[in-house]
Amino acid sequence: MKLRFDTDTFREILDSLLRNKSRSLLTGFGVFWGIFMLMLLSGGGRGFKQMLENEFEGFAHNTCIIFANQTSKPFKGFKEGRNWEMTYDDVDLLKNLMPELDVVSPTIALWGKSIVRGDIVSSRAVVKGTRADYALIETPKLKYGRYINDMDNAQERKVCVIGKRVYNELFPEGGDPCGQRIRIDGAFYSVVGVNWSEGSGININGNAADMVVIPINQARKAYNLGNTIQLLCFTAKEGFVMSDLTQRVREIISRAHYVDPTDEQALFLLNTQLIFGIVDNLFKGVNFIIWLIGLGTLLAGVVGVSNIMMVSVRERTTEIGIRRAIGATPRQILGQIISESIVLTLVAGMSGIVFSVLILYGVELATMEDGILMVAYQVPFWTALLAASLLAILGVVAGLMPAARAMQIKPVDAMRDE
Amino acid sequence: MALIELQGINKTYDNGQPLHVLKGVDLHIERGEFVSIMGASGSGKSTLLNILGILDNYDTGTYHLDGTLIKNLTEKQAADYRNRMIGFIFQSFNLIGFKTAVENVELPLYYQGVPRKKRHDLAMEYLDKMGLTPWASHFPNEMSGGQKQRVAIARALITQPRIILADEPTGALDSKTSVEVMALLKQLNQQDGITIIVVTHEGGVANETDKIIHIKDGVIGEIEENTRHDAWEGSVMK
Repeated sequence: MKLRFDTDTFREILDSLLRNKSRSLLTGFGVFWGIFMLMLLSGGGRGFKQMLENEFEGFAHNTCIIFANQTSKPFKGFKEGRNWEMTYDDVDLLKNLMPELDVVSPTIALWGKSIVRGDIVSSRAVVKGTRADYALIETPKLKYGRYINDMDNAQERKVCVIGKRVYNELFPEGGDPCGQRIRIDGAFYSVVGVNWSEGSGININGNAADMVVIPINQARKAYNLGNTIQLLCFTAKEGFVMSDLTQRVREIISRAHYVDPTDEQALFLLNTQLIFGIVDNLFKGVNFIIWLIGLGTLLAGVVGVSNIMMVSVRERTTEIGIRRAIGATPRQILGQIISESIVLTLVAGMSGIVFSVLILYGVELATMEDGILMVAYQVPFWTALLAASLLAILGVVAGLMPAARAMQIKPVDAMRDE
Repeated sequence: MALIELQGINKTYDNGQPLHVLKGVDLHIERGEFVSIMGASGSGKSTLLNILGILDNYDTGTYHLDGTLIKNLTEKQAADYRNRMIGFIFQSFNLIGFKTAVENVELPLYYQGVPRKKRHDLAMEYLDKMGLTPWASHFPNEMSGGQKQRVAIARALITQPRIILADEPTGALDSKTSVEVMALLKQLNQQDGITIIVVTHEGGVANETDKIIHIKDGVIGEIEENTRHDAWEGSVMK
């Protein structure tokens, strides 16, 4: 006689479980709550992580930014406390000496500019001179038009891409502003694009919303900056870790300007990879705690199931004895008890999963903006599947001890109990 | 060979202090007999019943049931033999409380792997034989003692066993119902030729059977032929 699993067996299991509804319900609740907390927390954790990632959205994760600062060490005859500046030549220098680098893009920023269109003024804007490849470092969200391109730079065109706030102030009537002219410090520029980016957790030269981006060559000419640049942003090629490259960058730039390569103050270096690394580690930690708490609760629930099954087996000594007397093999009894445990665990666990999915769905709906999903809190399908199979295994484990006890019940016990 | 052949059965319980319960029991019961095993409590009759019902092992001797040697069986074999060869009737009915009458009757067939429909039809047939068709979907606690015992009898019969073992079948019943149940057993024996062994300590019950086997202090004593049912004074139960 082999262990069968068909509607008959299932009815037997259901009969036993439904016979003691409130007890089954309360026992199941432990498992339900465990899996519910686990799913909810892990979904919530994912959501928060994504929320944070949204903050850094559009920012290349392997970017490094350097800029010149007062020296703090004497070097090759120069005293400490010297001011120095990077030049446009450093771009080519880095590009030539370090093939590991992908994009190397210089920027110049001029703060507190007033942008004028007719009689409308948008003040406190940042004029930023850069090149087309800067878009690879901080991705613009273009609402209208295009970003500046290589031809703009080569021909020193007077074109600009304006930020969201600047656009809203200068063009209160809305609509596509491309081709319109705006005035910055007496010079007229054609608007070629609108960057709708809100400005993220990482801002270079100020918030993108306040920005008016013009070709860097035009900026150097218009503001008499000569060959100097303020920031140098670069990304590493696929397969290279930025932290391994920064030391060489520091040496190349420092030596070119007679700055001590060990002078960390003179060449300020910001490696965003480290920041993302910290965030990543933070969420790894959070995730670990979530799983620890969730699994702990789940385990407590399973122990509860096991305990109650134990009580149930004890209570059903007579019934099991009768079953044995009329021909149930020990294996059939074992199968029944374990199946009961699995069904109880699975049903409770599944409803926990369903309930948490519903709650997370509700949270997603509540945080939607204009019908666009901002943050996905939902538990991934595979996690749910993993949880479900985990439940089945836990069900078996919970049923093992009670089943072992049930198997020891002899048919004679049925008659003893009266 | 007789249906039941016990030879030199010895059984000792060892709970701290050895207790020799059965001291060389020899017993032959033929097919179609209606016998009772009588004895006071502590006489070993329950142990004998457990051995006959393959619910317990014995130490030495041999037990042949319908030509099959019942000895050193695995739990699985024992369960299988119990299921196919023996029908039990208990004093406390031992119906499963959360199952209806018909479901209780079906249960032995469930463990044989008989399909649901066939099982149900057969169970209804046996309930009908017991006159319990209207009670098929009732739960045990909605039935009288007599009805419960008749459900239990139907459950014992459904696998068409070689023998029916009844352990104090009237112990929990009033005298009127006791008479009815004994009459039913007698009818099953006479009309269907089913071998029935009743274990009891009541003379009135034993008197209804054709043969009374007395057991005392672990050995078989007198075996009375009782075809005229006059072994007991007045022949009235209880």
